[in-house]
Amino acid sequence: MVNQLKNIEIETRPAESRNPFARVFDEIVRFCQSRSMFMLHYCTGCGAIELPPAMTSRFDMERLGIQPMVTPRQADILLITGYVSIKTLKRVILTYEQMGSPKYVIGICSCTVNGGMYWQSYATAKKLDEYLPVDMYIAGCMPRPEAVITGLRELMENIRTGKADAWKQYYKNYDYYLGNQQHLFGNNWQTPTDVIGEAEHYRLMGPNTLGEHTRILQQVQQPLEAMEMKI
Amino acid sequence: MNDTLAIILEAILMPIVAFIVGLFMVLMVRKLAAKLQRRVGPPLLQPLYDIIKLYGKQTQISHGLIHDIGIIMAVGGYVAAEALLPVPGMDGIAAQGGLITLAYLTMVPSLGLALGVGQCANPNGSIGISRALTAMLAYDIPYIIVIFGVAWHFSSTNLVEIIAVQQAGGIETWGIAQMPLLAIAGLITMHAMLGKQPFEIYVAPAEIATGPMVEMGGKYLGGLFVMQCFQLYTVSVIYVSLFLGGGENWITFLLKAFGVLAIVVSIAYLFPRYRTDDLVRLMWKWPVMLGLLGIAFVMN
Repeated sequence: MVNQLKNIEIETRPAESRNPFARVFDEIVRFCQSRSMFMLHYCTGCGAIELPPAMTSRFDMERLGIQPMVTPRQADILLITGYVSIKTLKRVILTYEQMGSPKYVIGICSCTVNGGMYWQSYATAKKLDEYLPVDMYIAGCMPRPEAVITGLRELMENIRTGKADAWKQYYKNYDYYLGNQQHLFGNNWQTPTDVIGEAEHYRLMGPNTLGEHTRILQQVQQPLEAMEMKI
Repeated sequence: MNDTLAIILEAILMPIVAFIVGLFMVLMVRKLAAKLQRRVGPPLLQPLYDIIKLYGKQTQISHGLIHDIGIIMAVGGYVAAEALLPVPGMDGIAAQGGLITLAYLTMVPSLGLALGVGQCANPNGSIGISRALTAMLAYDIPYIIVIFGVAWHFSSTNLVEIIAVQQAGGIETWGIAQMPLLAIAGLITMHAMLGKQPFEIYVAPAEIATGPMVEMGGKYLGGLFVMQCFQLYTVSVIYVSLFLGGGENWITFLLKAFGVLAIVVSIAYLFPRYRTDDLVRLMWKWPVMLGLLGIAFVMN
């Protein structure tokens, strides 16, 4: 069963080798990506309270093409609103790795920027971008819906012009991110997603994809086994 | 030779027309929901943006061959159904296919989805698809009763003939004037087939995390969005053909199809969701009773 899954290959070619017509097509795709964003909100702290007004009738995000989705597979944006405790961070990373690229992370509230009022807490991850590549921070304690929408509009502009490619950094600098994750969770840390394999498959390997931390991962990594079917 | 060519051309053209109309139907559904909730709603081309974006994803997560084939079945079932649905100016193979083939083809997408979701091995997906198939079991009985009643009334299972008879005789020969009970049963059944709010048991975002779509990302979700366009079109056009005299021209045809859908959607966004067993009980009680009563009137 596992071997069958591996045999399915989906070809992606690097953008440089494409002809001019394909580049126009890329422009259209980027425009559509900027105008249609499915949002998965991981509401950990008080910032979550500002999202319902941003989504419902008062500010209505749907007019910008932004709508909430409920699973990581469907989502484009991972919205993290508030402090990230170490236990939460594990879930955030699992969620992030399951999303399909291109994917964007938005950190809302000052807690994701530098720990905010939880700076002295022993159980809180201070800077989110040490563990995940963050596309956009919306600072404030908490930011008003206007600020959230302004931030999202800025992200839309970045996507349209092709500047929002932080998700590639996760593949290219995986060793750095994994090192920080191992620093918090210990050397036995592993996720179900094979990030190195994905980076190889989609030709996103960089000079820093592999390093000392990925060597530790490869030593301790347990192969994933399918769960037993029970009725 | 010319006839064969014309049929092939129509079989290609009809799904394309259905897709474009379906995109606007999705837009209307979302706009209506927005208006009911006092919002602005999405821009004009939003359904298209969503689909292009989903197909433009750079990493596609497949769960195996059956996962891929399931989506193709889900879209393909409806694409095949479009060629059997007469639109103004194009009959396709409606005269050869008939209502019974159409009834079979509208069940294919649910089964395709069940296959595809089955391979994802996600418990939420399995719960969702078992609910979707239960819902199909619930609405298919009144659906078949309604189709049987209409076919008996017009003594034909040929959609082209059914539409021609209704258009020749004017409004008083329309299905809705001749068989009001069956028309009401049909409207409830259609509502359940669309899976809109009171009957939205298998999507249930807050409860089972969008059910069958839980492991669908990128082009798989894009396929489902395309399927939704076809679904809205197919279901409302079947209703228009059976009860509202089809379309004399494109304007009346689109007005009727969008109007029928608007009724369903306006009801949908005012109500919360039923439980699965409630849905089965409701569908097997009211539309079935109304449908059987309607058949009794039709047969006398």
